[in-house]
Amino acid sequence: MTALTERPPRRPEAAAARPLAKRSAPLRRIGPWLFFAAMLAVALLVLLPIIIIVFTAFKPVAEVNAFPPSLVPGDWTLDNFTRIFTELPFGRLILNSFVFAGGVTLCALVFDSLAAYVLARIDFRGSRVLLIVIVASLMIPFQATLIPIYQLVADLGWVNTFWGLIIPRAADAFGIFFLRQVFLSLPRDLDNAARIDGASEFRIFRSIVLPNAVPALLTLGIYTFVNNWNDLLWPLVFTTQQEMGTITSGLTLLTGPSGIVPYGVMMAGSLIAVVPLAVMFLFVQKRFIESVASTGLK
Amino acid sequence: MTTHATRPPRRYRPPGQLGGRGPIGGQAKRRLTIAGFLLPALAILTLFVFWPMLSALRLSFTDASGFGREKFIGLENYTEVFTDPDILRAMGNTVLYTVMFTPLAVVLALALALALNSPYLPFRGVFRTWLFLPFIVSLAVAAFAWQYLLDPQVGLLNYWLQGFGIRIGNVLQDPVLAMPTVVLVAVWKNFAFYMIVFLAGLQEIPGSLYEAAKMDGAGPWSRFRNVTMPLLGNTTGFVLIIATIAALQAFDQIYVMTGGGPYKSTQTVVMQIYQSGFKDLDLGFASALSYVLLIATLILSLVQFFVTGRREKDVG
Amino acid sequence: MKKLLTAAAVLAVASLGLAACSSGSDSASTSGDPVTLTFWHGYTEADGDVLEGIVDDFNAAHDDVKIETEVKTWAVIDDTLLTALSADQGPDIVAMPAERLPVYASKGAFADLTDFYADDASNTSELNPQAVAMETVDGTPYGVPTGFVPLSVFYNKALFAAAGITEFPTTWDEWVADAKKLTVDQNGDGTPEQYGMVLPDHATVANGVWPSLFYGNGGDVVEDGTTAVIDSPENAETLEYWSKAVIDDKISPTGVDGVKADELFSSGKVAMTIGGPWMASIAKDNAIDYGIAAIPAGPKQQAASAIGVSMGITAQADDAKAAAAKEFFSYFFEPEVATAWSLGSGWPPLRTDIPASDVADNPTVAALTEIAGTSRALLPGVVNSSDVLAEMDVATQKALAGGDVPSLLGDAQAAIQSTLDEQ
Repeated sequence: MTALTERPPRRPEAAAARPLAKRSAPLRRIGPWLFFAAMLAVALLVLLPIIIIVFTAFKPVAEVNAFPPSLVPGDWTLDNFTRIFTELPFGRLILNSFVFAGGVTLCALVFDSLAAYVLARIDFRGSRVLLIVIVASLMIPFQATLIPIYQLVADLGWVNTFWGLIIPRAADAFGIFFLRQVFLSLPRDLDNAARIDGASEFRIFRSIVLPNAVPALLTLGIYTFVNNWNDLLWPLVFTTQQEMGTITSGLTLLTGPSGIVPYGVMMAGSLIAVVPLAVMFLFVQKRFIESVASTGLK
Repeated sequence: MTTHATRPPRRYRPPGQLGGRGPIGGQAKRRLTIAGFLLPALAILTLFVFWPMLSALRLSFTDASGFGREKFIGLENYTEVFTDPDILRAMGNTVLYTVMFTPLAVVLALALALALNSPYLPFRGVFRTWLFLPFIVSLAVAAFAWQYLLDPQVGLLNYWLQGFGIRIGNVLQDPVLAMPTVVLVAVWKNFAFYMIVFLAGLQEIPGSLYEAAKMDGAGPWSRFRNVTMPLLGNTTGFVLIIATIAALQAFDQIYVMTGGGPYKSTQTVVMQIYQSGFKDLDLGFASALSYVLLIATLILSLVQFFVTGRREKDVG
Repeated sequence: MKKLLTAAAVLAVASLGLAACSSGSDSASTSGDPVTLTFWHGYTEADGDVLEGIVDDFNAAHDDVKIETEVKTWAVIDDTLLTALSADQGPDIVAMPAERLPVYASKGAFADLTDFYADDASNTSELNPQAVAMETVDGTPYGVPTGFVPLSVFYNKALFAAAGITEFPTTWDEWVADAKKLTVDQNGDGTPEQYGMVLPDHATVANGVWPSLFYGNGGDVVEDGTTAVIDSPENAETLEYWSKAVIDDKISPTGVDGVKADELFSSGKVAMTIGGPWMASIAKDNAIDYGIAAIPAGPKQQAASAIGVSMGITAQADDAKAAAAKEFFSYFFEPEVATAWSLGSGWPPLRTDIPASDVADNPTVAALTEIAGTSRALLPGVVNSSDVLAEMDVATQKALAGGDVPSLLGDAQAAIQSTLDEQ
């Protein structure tokens, strides 16, 4: 956390920071803190549902639906967490989640960036049509193509395998669209110089374009990872055996008959499931800032 | 979608043959290079995206249920899409949802990105992490938390506000307020990603431009209008399109929080597709409705594309 | 960047290795001599353990058949069955909420069980005929019941004692009168802090609350699976009676669905709820001293809609598998197995020849068995039941918000009839 807060002002800020000196001394001191207070209010509002999730995870069953309601548990308990570990093959589910979300993310980053590079930086016949087709494929609801995809995966014999979970998502239209936008805006001076020097396109892609797009790759990476980690229907549909499920699909098993959800347990489960994501985001956020700072060419 | 004025033209052809060292065989090599870059992604997209889309298109002209026999029924499904009052209503609801969600989410994301990019804000890094949290929480879980907050009988918000003599009522079961409420939850869930995209865009704007603007005596608003906005045009266009697509496919939190009710007032097109396909086992009709949605989204995006494109040209 | 790419490659290879391992073990388990059946069900609680026990006993007694169960929730079964069946990757036997069976059956997902029911050895002749009615579409049975239980009222004994009520009401008028006594508005702001009952107005428990009330006054929703009869003077009376009680006497909060109703009962905010047998364990978890009673009789009759669960043999099962599945169904209905299942699941016996004394060990089952005779299947034979129920929900929810009952029922009638005509 501290590493994040101590970030020294970078280029845009360095310029923008100067008017501070022009303002009167009291405003200079109070202004930022008023701003801070306003942001704190917004952030607390945004955080409120998450605070509820955290506290509910530590509430005993009888307190979750109790009236009058309370934010903080009266009796702190770890029972909900114990139930997660005893009723679900927790370790296996977490491992599956990592393989699935991680596999999709890594494959998609590689394949998407390759395709996006061509679409953004090389002019060829049909590139426009291809881009429109790719973006249009984002506009069909997932529910409509699920069954044809499933039939294909089943024909390949991939139901209940990691192949079936990962390969259909190993490249995705959103990632290509996103990275194409990013690559489009990267400056071209260096790659032109490299081209004149006889560098191959792959070389330009790998050593010039990709290093300059690290923040975007990280953003897309976390986007893809989070969405797959939290995806419910996909693992439910493509894995019929519990030991191939993910943590998100596994948690549905805790739902009672008639759809009653044991909220305490569910919140405890989601809390555990979200920790790897939070850690990853902290890491990415740090890298994100470092790489923005170190991109020399602007 | 389009680049702004300070950048090189989009359709840029580098000097000399791409990737080739001489004129002989250059064209073939160039084609090979392009194919090599595109192949992995296109192979996967063709198999698992384009082909299923074509299958769905074929199904939309049949009475398929997903298994068993299916019969070709021509345009019957499409006629039903445009004559069934429930479907027309779902389309209206989807438009309403999109009109509320897209501007709200995009403006909020931009405002917060500007705030987080400002050097005046103490503890920016903490806020950045903090505000991103809604994005990493799964929506089903978040929906519970929201329901718990909003519940009229045992909910926290109602309980707290009662102290001030305020009653919020049963917002999720109010035919007028249910839609804004599910929109609000979607904004809460999704703004963070748009914010991060904006933030990345903001950090690419060279500080020297702001300096120059200030030299010319531009105030903060004028700097925002004349420096930030034009340079962020590319990013804004992208965020607008993905937010619109997300809005037109609204499903998750509605499924969890209202199930399309009360009185079908939050029934969106994708909720309807889910119900037709997976509840009534009428996959043919669900596919037809999906294609109508696809075409509508495509038209809307193209309009958006040309409007933002024109505006940027004016700036240039 | 290079490091990232290398890491990507390594992880990709590792994940593919894992995938290969898992697919390897998969193929090993399906080979072998006995007929192997997959069985999806949604019994996730103690009832699941009992069912596993029954399946294990069956497997042990049959060398040539092996049933493998996969436990999912009812909602997940409903969301994934279609996809699985579309590629013949589904179960051979599947259990699902009874009102969902007809739509699958109408599309050809389930095997015709006419011959099975005709066979004396199937042990089906003593089954509750109302339970069998849930399985029948256009006169053909496509499944067998695994559960059939009337909705009943769960009440909070502490709140009843505090209000001085000693006898549970037996008629609607007494029911509403008691609910009024149990409704407490301490600060007089017009919104009670405690409600006498919770009457959900949409997505009610097993969608059965309103059908139960309609039956009580001699009404119904659909007749013969083909004709909408929701717009009747009896139903109008019923809706007006209950909307008056909710709007004027404020005996129940409004805008509540079935799940919320159960939660409100758990919180002690309402004194009565209409629910299924699982409410017993939920009440216990929330430290609520509860009683179970039949839904009080309406002006015309005592009646309750039933929560039903069915299981069927999917079309993807070949002849050998179908025969094995039928063998399992017969076993499931043997008197001892049926009794054990009833005691373990907490649901009344499916056979009418098992006396209540045989299940007296489980007081919940005994209480429910006593009132089982009044229960009726929900929308038997109706294919598009989810659309019919959605239209019914619109009418009840609007009525309880003060809408005009006759016109609401008229709208519902037209919408339901057009849904029935489509199927």
